[in-house]
Amino acid sequence: MGLEKSMAGMTQTFAEAPPLPMTEAAYLPGVAYDEMFTADGGVRPHYDPLHARMSTLGAEELAGRQRTLERSFLLQGITFTVYGAENTTERIIPTDLFPRIIPAAEWARIEAGLTQRLRALNLFLDDIYGDQQILMDGVVPRELVLGAPSYRREMQHLYVPHKAYANVCGSDLIRCQDGQFAVLEDNLRVPSGVSYMLANRDAAKRTFPGTYRAAGVRPVERYPDLLLATLKSMTADWRSNPQVVVLTPGVYNSAYYEHAYLARLMGVPLVEGRDLVVHENMVYMRTTTGLRRVDVIYRRVDDDFIDPLTFRRDSSLGAAGLFNAYRAGNVVICNAPGTGVADDKAVYAYVPDIIRYYLGEDAILPNIETFLCREPRQLQHVLANLDKLVVKAVGASGGYGMLVGPHASQTEREAFAEAIKADPENYIAQPTIQLSTAPCLVDGRIEPRHVDLRPFILSGEKTIVTPGALTRVALKRGSLVVNSSQGGGSKDTWVLADDQGPNSGSARP
Amino acid sequence: MMLARVADSLYWLGRYIERAEHLSRLSSVMLNATLDQTDAGAHAVWIAMAAVGEPGDGAGVASFEAARTLVLNRQDPNSVVSSLARARENARQVRDQITTETWERLNLLYLKVTDTRAAKEFSDSSSTFLHDVIADLHLFKGAADTTMSHGESWRFMMLGIYMERAQLVSRLLEVCFADSPRHGRLDDHVALVSVLRMACALEPYLRVYTAEIEPRHILEFLVFDEDFPRSIRFATAQIEQHLTALTRSVSAGERAGPERLAGRLKARLQYADVDELKAVGAGPLLTTVVNECARIHEAIYETFVAYPLEMRLPA
Repeated sequence: MGLEKSMAGMTQTFAEAPPLPMTEAAYLPGVAYDEMFTADGGVRPHYDPLHARMSTLGAEELAGRQRTLERSFLLQGITFTVYGAENTTERIIPTDLFPRIIPAAEWARIEAGLTQRLRALNLFLDDIYGDQQILMDGVVPRELVLGAPSYRREMQHLYVPHKAYANVCGSDLIRCQDGQFAVLEDNLRVPSGVSYMLANRDAAKRTFPGTYRAAGVRPVERYPDLLLATLKSMTADWRSNPQVVVLTPGVYNSAYYEHAYLARLMGVPLVEGRDLVVHENMVYMRTTTGLRRVDVIYRRVDDDFIDPLTFRRDSSLGAAGLFNAYRAGNVVICNAPGTGVADDKAVYAYVPDIIRYYLGEDAILPNIETFLCREPRQLQHVLANLDKLVVKAVGASGGYGMLVGPHASQTEREAFAEAIKADPENYIAQPTIQLSTAPCLVDGRIEPRHVDLRPFILSGEKTIVTPGALTRVALKRGSLVVNSSQGGGSKDTWVLADDQGPNSGSARP
Repeated sequence: MMLARVADSLYWLGRYIERAEHLSRLSSVMLNATLDQTDAGAHAVWIAMAAVGEPGDGAGVASFEAARTLVLNRQDPNSVVSSLARARENARQVRDQITTETWERLNLLYLKVTDTRAAKEFSDSSSTFLHDVIADLHLFKGAADTTMSHGESWRFMMLGIYMERAQLVSRLLEVCFADSPRHGRLDDHVALVSVLRMACALEPYLRVYTAEIEPRHILEFLVFDEDFPRSIRFATAQIEQHLTALTRSVSAGERAGPERLAGRLKARLQYADVDELKAVGAGPLLTTVVNECARIHEAIYETFVAYPLEMRLPA
């Protein structure tokens, strides 16, 4: 999850806009690409119906719908708990009622790009845990892969069906100033957020039913059964009716709602480590009628914690002996342990090369330009341009170990420069990127806010890109940080079925 | 087939739901009874407090405070709000087992009683507040009944509800009718009506016995009535029925036999001699019910939840 985005041009000015009803004059996109408006202020055609609908709704009406939306989230328990000294309260992740719309042609490119990328990354994982051809050929530096903390030696030469290591992938895309999508980060470990995608969709349908119907939005509701089919496709053929379970760290995990949600919609048990028993390399769960064999574990527990006998000894979230059962082929763990090495921040820079190496194709979705401090020439460039770049520690996430050049003081930059010079292999740098903006309802007004895009890709026997995504929103004005921990929210994402244009004849409120 | 941990949570979910409802009703009746400045009112307060295990000196003035503590004190594990918080916590842990309709009823109620405005709402109109809590709990049970599959999950929850009910009603009757009650014999009309209200039994009682409110009839009704859902006999019949269904798929040799214990208790109440109750008083029978319920509870654990693994390993 933890990604931070920042940019130099944070000083963009927002004139005070008049209150609703919304007019174009009140909506002041900055220098970033705006999802709804073109640079000269025109409405992009695929946003026309929504724009028309937004204009007819008054401030009161919009506020009312926003409240209804938030209440429905609260009611469903799509919340995280804030434990306070006096009392505990439930908070929802802020949700914006205006959908973000992506036309079919653009989506086709995203879909092709993501499929290509995940295919290559799975082949990469299969290779580095197998014969390591790509390392022999010097395409990716050997020590970069084998030295990464997320590389799991335990996975070497272990059979993974369909070479599908990352069964669920949630990549973070951003739309740059030129309007092109690029990949900012791959999430191959235990990506979360898919329940928000589904909940947002549910809410958007109720908030803008007419616009939704007329727009021809591709459905995302099949995600749970596609996930189940993907998980089942990972078992041996001779297990006729495989038992799938979702493994959660427990009710106090911040993504617990999502674990329960997916288990419920797939109709499979939601288990915790203490429900599992490994006996003679078979995994069982404790049921009311005795022990029952488990075939596939969709685990939402990090590698480190799944098996105290193999990984962290102090973990009580996993099951002792689980990894051996996996090695013996008696259970499937999804995603496979050790996938994290392929979404490592330094390996990220090599993904275009990885795609070329395995598929002989150019990457359809570009990377963000990344400087590897391990390369002396790139290190010089980074040190010379610290005031323009974002520097990240390879092993860290969640905004830690990071320098946002344009925002840092001279002293901070100097201190960081020393740290980089001391351990250049541990750092990468990227230009500060201006994320695209989309209209959001903030304090009763419609204002542009920066957004990213997290689509979800399933891979088992087949690779499926869900035609939808979680759009994360930086709700603070001018902020480029979309993390929920940093005041980020989310909104629904409509992927249109075709580009025939809005079916305006049937558009009703 | 379901996870043992899940069965445990569902069982406790049922117990806490029933407990919250019972406590709300006791508080409501107690507050209502204090409106009359009579001995009977004080007696009703004493009964309610004794039934929750806190027999104070029955001073009427303190009863509002007592009720508020009983309802809203989060530090007290036996308050309405604590029961609801625990019910919700259990429901959250088995969120995949209960329907959205059922979950929403409980979640909504939880949010209401834990809201910062709850204390003020209670002070402004405690009877409305408690009435709404009870009504919401009925909605929860209704939603569970009409939207959940009446399979294992639902049965474990119902098992919890009826186990709790049998014990709570027994406790209430023990306080009222066991030997040597502190306030002398319970024969005041107003106090007796309060007892019926605490068991949510007034209207069904009147239909059977008319307005002749007598301790003997109340006991008979709340212990032996076949159709009244809050009689001990009814609750034990339900416990027996759910356990029989639940143990069907547990292989026979290893059972502690909760359904056998439940069947025995049910038969005892079903074929009991009402005259015997008159002769020796209700005390011994009620004690038996409470003790047997505790044994059934243990047997449920041994059979479904905390069974030794060695017994169940695949051959």
